[in-house]
Amino acid sequence: MPEANEFIELLNRHQNIIHKVCSLYMNDVTEREDLFQEITLQAWNAYGSFRGDAKFSTWLYRVALNTAISFYRKEKRKPDFKPVNGLPEYAEETTETEEQMQAMYKAIASLSKIDKALVMLYLEDYSYDEIGNMLGITANNVAVKMNRIKTKLKDESKKHYQFG
Amino acid sequence: MELDELKILFKEQPVPMRVVKSPNDIAALLGSKTKSVTGKIRRSLKIEIIACIVFVVLCAGFGIFGAYTWLRIYFGIFALICLLFLPVLFILHKKTTDFGSTDLPVKRNLQRLVNLMQEFIKRYFQITMALIPVSVFMAFLLGYYSAAPADTNLQNTPTPNFGSIAFKITAVIAYLVFFGWGMYYFTKWYLKKLYGNYTEQLQALIKELEE
Repeated sequence: MPEANEFIELLNRHQNIIHKVCSLYMNDVTEREDLFQEITLQAWNAYGSFRGDAKFSTWLYRVALNTAISFYRKEKRKPDFKPVNGLPEYAEETTETEEQMQAMYKAIASLSKIDKALVMLYLEDYSYDEIGNMLGITANNVAVKMNRIKTKLKDESKKHYQFG
Repeated sequence: MELDELKILFKEQPVPMRVVKSPNDIAALLGSKTKSVTGKIRRSLKIEIIACIVFVVLCAGFGIFGAYTWLRIYFGIFALICLLFLPVLFILHKKTTDFGSTDLPVKRNLQRLVNLMQEFIKRYFQITMALIPVSVFMAFLLGYYSAAPADTNLQNTPTPNFGSIAFKITAVIAYLVFFGWGMYYFTKWYLKKLYGNYTEQLQALIKELEE
């Protein structure tokens, strides 16, 4: 099936996006696996509507965020921190910058589902217009939300920063 | 550290590409079963449609070939009600299947999902509620008309006095009220537990996006 082969090839090249979204939204490995499977399925179901006028990565972000945000799971326990955005865990010897980054990841992990999506797209260097298009809100609304999130993250990361 | 500093660090040291799944792994995932709520609803609707068809056929069979008039009426009405709900179930199933595409903007997608969930909850509630009064009233009528005293002497029993009839009517009404009230709140609670809480979470996300 040529369409399936084309999709698998594209997804294989961009699977990093799905891993990032899964790490951002899920705490344990099983849940991440479940979400990875669900995003892949949803992307495959929606692939017919991908016309190629947008970049595949942008389209995949939209599908992945839609799936992650509406993904249902029973609340089992208080979420524990796991590094987000596919970054490595820093063990033992850590520099001050790495500590600050860790503190920032912990702060990001405490955000709401919508704020997490905003932060992820912001870090991926999407413009406010593009973020607005993906989330279905105006660029002005994105700007207001981003200002609020930046202040919140600054305060929250201070709580997790040990060197300070 | 601020978010903009983290962004600069990201640009300077991009996260290396993680290849965890091979093309074969991805191909295998394409044939797997969805764990989404819409998938759960779709499966539930499929089961309900099949159960409804089987039920209609059985009830229609009893309704046509049943030995007793009231049993025929009882099952005939059930068959008719289930038959009326079949198109509703089919439409809901089609809507849920069409929902598949999730490449809409997040807010629009959430609104569509909430609408779908609310419609499913509404129809499920209507179907359950519609069957209760029919079931109760028909059971009473069936019991009343089918009851034939075993002892022929009992057929000559004097007409009960007004007091006992009033008591019986009160007891029946009280039973109906409590049964209807109980089923109403139980169905509401059950649907809220199954889908209502999730729908509220989605509505909260839409509200957050609009703020």
